[in-house]
Amino acid sequence: MTHSLHRLGTRENLSHDYPLICMAAHGINEEGAAAKMGRFLEICQRHGPVNLGDMKQGNIFVHDAEDIIRNITNTTLVQVVFDDLAKVEAVLRDLVAENFDLSVVVSGLTDATRECCQKVGLEVHTVSQSLGIRGNISRLPSREVLEITTMCGHGMTASGLVEQMIDDIKKDRSTPEKAAETLAKPCECGIFNTTRAATLLAAAAAQ
Amino acid sequence: MKLDSDNCIGCELCPPYCPVNAIHMKNDVAVIDDDECVECGVCFRSRVCPVDVFEEVVAPWPRAVRQVMSNPLIENPDTRIPGRGTEEVKTNEVTGRIKPGFVGMGLEMGRPGTGTRFTDVQKMTQGLAEVGVNFEPQNPVTLWMTDKKTGKIRDDILNEKSLSAIVEVSFPIDRLKAVLKKIDEVAQQIDTVFSITTCVKVLPDGSLPTDKIFQELGITPYPDSKNNIGIGRPRFNFEEGT
Repeated sequence: MTHSLHRLGTRENLSHDYPLICMAAHGINEEGAAAKMGRFLEICQRHGPVNLGDMKQGNIFVHDAEDIIRNITNTTLVQVVFDDLAKVEAVLRDLVAENFDLSVVVSGLTDATRECCQKVGLEVHTVSQSLGIRGNISRLPSREVLEITTMCGHGMTASGLVEQMIDDIKKDRSTPEKAAETLAKPCECGIFNTTRAATLLAAAAAQ
Repeated sequence: MKLDSDNCIGCELCPPYCPVNAIHMKNDVAVIDDDECVECGVCFRSRVCPVDVFEEVVAPWPRAVRQVMSNPLIENPDTRIPGRGTEEVKTNEVTGRIKPGFVGMGLEMGRPGTGTRFTDVQKMTQGLAEVGVNFEPQNPVTLWMTDKKTGKIRDDILNEKSLSAIVEVSFPIDRLKAVLKKIDEVAQQIDTVFSITTCVKVLPDGSLPTDKIFQELGITPYPDSKNNIGIGRPRFNFEEGT
């Protein structure tokens, strides 16, 4: 549930982070869904996503985008992430123009996302909100690490790897961009935002 | 996950890749703590090992629970969705899963990045059962319950550990304060962390039915949210329930 929610951040850095998910309702409109999800990814690709992937195959930092689109199955979920809301608006406009009829969710700053939908004539139907983290929070890593690891909602991007990447940047063994790509690979579904991660990594390394 | 320590060259590249810190160096070679490993497969798929010491094996029951809940590439045979997630809000305009007047809630035990034993998951399910919630039938945790009235989970998986497990419930919105109070009580009794999600259908005026309640309780949701934009078809008719 909610692998594109619970992304920890500030309003400023979340303003460059918009994951989109598309899937069929199983048993209702799953027949022919593979081709529609492929079309969804093609439309997104046209507008320059930061990352793109299929839950059963992986993301573009591991596989070729065309291979991913070709091998989609009806019961999977496909994901993309954008760093610019104007690009999301362009995608939504294309989906509306084509009468696209599979479910799509857009995550991001609540007010900005809603305004973006309204601009293309869409009204948000159902909303998921994060009330944050509870329990034994002494087990959590630092906030600067969490802002990066929570971009992988399935928890595939390890906090130890983030700490190592920060250390590598500090010691000039890597760049923020290269480190961000290393962190994006384990996040199979494709919603890890490498642009935002590079910014966060650079800031953490500069401290 | 199997790690052939005999062939490990001690390069120390793999331990940072493990999301639950289950790989460590012992006598200059990498070893896996089987009890802590959640079978997510990140070490294997990363290809970080220069001599390929990792081997992904099909785990027998009940260890199979770790694999299906922690590796998002594996389709759950019961929900037919890859990984531990469900359709929840993603298809609500088609399924009508979350109805007006109700709150859908997800308690993702072990998230972020901590992992959870099912003993802790059961503490949450049993606590929620006490305050009267409906457990989502198409959810892996619900499917492993032996009694949905009490939230009891089958005994053979209680000591299994997964990267996370989602307790998914719904209830009338007037129960929200009581449910949140119970969640705070359970939060004091567990060894892991969890992330809380609420899902509601947007009201005709564009507001959320939970806005006022959160304000009264002093709760500020994260500034970002997950929004179903309502384009899926056929559209569920909430007035007729079809």
